[in-house]
Amino acid sequence: MNLTPEERVEILERQLHDQGHVDPDTIDAHITAIEEATEDGTGPSTALGAKVVARAWNDPQFRARLLDDAVAAVAEYASQAVPLAVLADTEAVHHVIVCTLCSCYPSGLLGNPPAWYKSFEYRSRVVREPRAVLAEFGMELPEDMALHVHDSTAEQRYLVLPMRPAGTQGWSEERLAALVTRDSMVGTGWPLSH
Amino acid sequence: MSTRRAIDEIVTLRAVDGVHDLGGMHGFGAVPIETGEPLFHAPWEGRVWALLGAVMPATTIDRFRWTIEQMPPAEYLTSGYYARWLWAIERLANEQGLLTGSAEPAPIARPKPSSRPATARWQRGERVRVLNRVSAGHTRVPRYLRRHVGTVERAAFSWPPPAESAATGRYGNAEVVYTVAFAAADVFGPDHDHTLTADLGESDLEDSVT
Repeated sequence: MNLTPEERVEILERQLHDQGHVDPDTIDAHITAIEEATEDGTGPSTALGAKVVARAWNDPQFRARLLDDAVAAVAEYASQAVPLAVLADTEAVHHVIVCTLCSCYPSGLLGNPPAWYKSFEYRSRVVREPRAVLAEFGMELPEDMALHVHDSTAEQRYLVLPMRPAGTQGWSEERLAALVTRDSMVGTGWPLSH
Repeated sequence: MSTRRAIDEIVTLRAVDGVHDLGGMHGFGAVPIETGEPLFHAPWEGRVWALLGAVMPATTIDRFRWTIEQMPPAEYLTSGYYARWLWAIERLANEQGLLTGSAEPAPIARPKPSSRPATARWQRGERVRVLNRVSAGHTRVPRYLRRHVGTVERAAFSWPPPAESAATGRYGNAEVVYTVAFAAADVFGPDHDHTLTADLGESDLEDSVT
């Protein structure tokens, strides 16, 4: 019996509904809620992560708290179910994150991971040949910049704090947040420059 | 389509060294980077995502991961992310009795993200070796780091060991988890100049005398 995943999930949902464990309307509501929260940044999403990064660029005290105890620092944006560590990029070192064993991602802040983050290609290769993988994302690292690859092997999640783009002195948090891309918080991209 | 479908029991190999442990493997091609990616690529993926909520209250994330890791290797490598979730949710629903009865299993207690451990066996800068603990059960030590010596960056947090949480579906007593840095040159050869870090439990490490 070779059923498609679509057919299997329909059967599973019906079985769970028959026994009173799930309600299709509740399932619909959950899906709608995550779609909306992802879209408008009210829940964990790229937009929410960008707010945190932009604030860290503008507020040295917040940045210090974020690097010291990220779970506490981001609590006003989103409560975290697991530990969170923030990795600050500098002129000397660039950070990139991966989960080689499954697909652990800072979902409590950034929402669901993109398909490439969950791909066998990314998971197998970025720990071994990170510069080649980053080149596929259009990133060329300066020769003298150290590269640190962080494998999320336990419950701690990672977020990269990219360097603030040059020429943005005096910008508001809102304007800065528009420069922060999802990939720049994973380490596979730089923030936008303008 | 019938409303009943028998879910195969997991073949009790209790595999640890599974194909899911992909770090450092050769043979995979270019990273499939998608622009304008939707949250779900098909409506059924969203339903799988939401149905995880039916089985998670009564089990641990480690048992969910371990269940996915029991997929036959060829099936794992030809299934997408949410198809692998579905495979595990079917089996967890079955083992919790959700497919054949209306009794709700009791929710389990969950650990909270802790601050830095107050005491730790190893401190920043100390050298530790990753144990080659090949045993039945579940591990979060990737193959590519086993037996390697690294440097402790910090005692990062405390969390229940994943082998126990996977085996029992309950969280046990926490242990200290360390962020350990490794030179990629040691792990993958001299033409690699990057640094690797992983988060490893105290029970997966030993003193290094080198």
